[in-house]
Amino acid sequence: MLSKTTKVSTSVDFIGAFDPQIRTFDIIMKTANGSSYNSYLIRGSEGVAVMDTVKKEFSEDFFHSLELLCKYDEIKYIVLHHLEPDHSGALVELMQKAPRAQLIISGRAVMMLKGLLKKEIAFEVANTGKTISLGDKTIEFLSTPFLHWPDTMSSYLHEDKVLFSGDVFGSHYYDERLFDDKVGDFSYAFKYYYDHIMRPFKLYVRQALKLYSKFNIDIIAPLHGPILRSNPQYYIDKYAQWSSEAKFRKHEFGQKMICVFYMSSYDNTQEMAKKITEGADSVEGVVASMYDLASLDERNMIDLLEESDAIIVGSPTINGDAVKPAWDLLSCMAFLESNGKIGAAFGSYGWTGEAPEMLHDRMRWLKFRLPVPPLKIKLIPTQEELESCVLFGQEVAEIAMGKMVEMEI
Amino acid sequence: MVNIFLENDNINVKVPNTKSLRYVATKTGASMEFGCRVGDCLTCVARVKSGMEFLNKKNDKEIKALEILAMNVEGLRLMCQCNVEADEGEIVISYGF
Repeated sequence: MLSKTTKVSTSVDFIGAFDPQIRTFDIIMKTANGSSYNSYLIRGSEGVAVMDTVKKEFSEDFFHSLELLCKYDEIKYIVLHHLEPDHSGALVELMQKAPRAQLIISGRAVMMLKGLLKKEIAFEVANTGKTISLGDKTIEFLSTPFLHWPDTMSSYLHEDKVLFSGDVFGSHYYDERLFDDKVGDFSYAFKYYYDHIMRPFKLYVRQALKLYSKFNIDIIAPLHGPILRSNPQYYIDKYAQWSSEAKFRKHEFGQKMICVFYMSSYDNTQEMAKKITEGADSVEGVVASMYDLASLDERNMIDLLEESDAIIVGSPTINGDAVKPAWDLLSCMAFLESNGKIGAAFGSYGWTGEAPEMLHDRMRWLKFRLPVPPLKIKLIPTQEELESCVLFGQEVAEIAMGKMVEMEI
Repeated sequence: MVNIFLENDNINVKVPNTKSLRYVATKTGASMEFGCRVGDCLTCVARVKSGMEFLNKKNDKEIKALEILAMNVEGLRLMCQCNVEADEGEIVISYGF
């Protein structure tokens, strides 16, 4: 399918490619409506800037569109807002066709570029505040890292008030009518994209929104899906709402929230869970809750996991492993920010007792903060051991409340 | 032992000479972010608020990487490139920006 160019604003044209058939993106995302790889051309009085390219398989469409609008020797700049292959797939060929063009990437993209292309290419680094000129057009860069690659940046075309937001505000939604006021209802695709791509980086979304707020934006030109021109602020407000750090418990009651998830074969891990919850809940300012993993659909736990200040996971050891529902629960953290969240693990065991250590290790790789070692008890807990569970819960809760941790390693 | 205060996580940890900050982060469970772990990606950039003299000196790779940030790099280090190099001292580190 050869793309068509579409006027976006006075000096901006869409030169991206459509992928109506794609049904799974990046292995993990369902794309019932297909997608698009948006690329844009900006024309100024002293040359042209190409904003991102497309997935390699769609290079022919991209070059076809580009050649309808400019000659290669007119291209002064090629801007890659991040280097993900669905946007950098035509870069090498474009640079061969337009050898005079200056490649602009973010500082964090430098080493990635080498890794991606396996060859040396000349480039210029753009940090927040850097501008480039096309004569009567000025493009200003903003560093918006981790959205959703570490090297992501955004840019703003001052004269046309267009924000090139990278993957931020994107949707996997194919519709050649292209603009949000013309295409079908893509609200599901917009939210689904946020949940899967941006939600784990909420902190960075908030930082990016702060940078965007200094500009008067008429059009948001993302790298996937509809171009947002009817009311850009509506979409910005949605991102602000979804990325808000306000937690309900913290916000409404001034409380820290601790969730104890467990699974139990013979009630022993359950008894531990009860005492850990009791200990955590006894700390002033903390509300602790227990959840039996045997009866949970972990996909419904995502909001709860996000809201929690600390997550304590308990599992017995079966065949040298933690039980599957515990792993399934932790797999949900791929959709969330876990960096700095407090974690802890526990469990009763009969033979070898690896499960608490394994869960503890998994949480470490998920970037949890793990201030207490895993707690494990052989078979039926004694009264004394149950008391250690209370203290375990208390310790986690006190650390969640800000107690300084003293350690020696 | 060198005393390191990890400000963001409110962790005070005593660390023996030669231990790396990656090891410290792993052992304490601190919320420092690490990316490539070889000094390329700048993910682990942190500010050493005091006690820089108790860490190893910046290598060329780290200096070059920090220059890319194009900001005031005074006190900034890449945590993946840092080791404790003292038997005694106090270090305060702030990270996550």
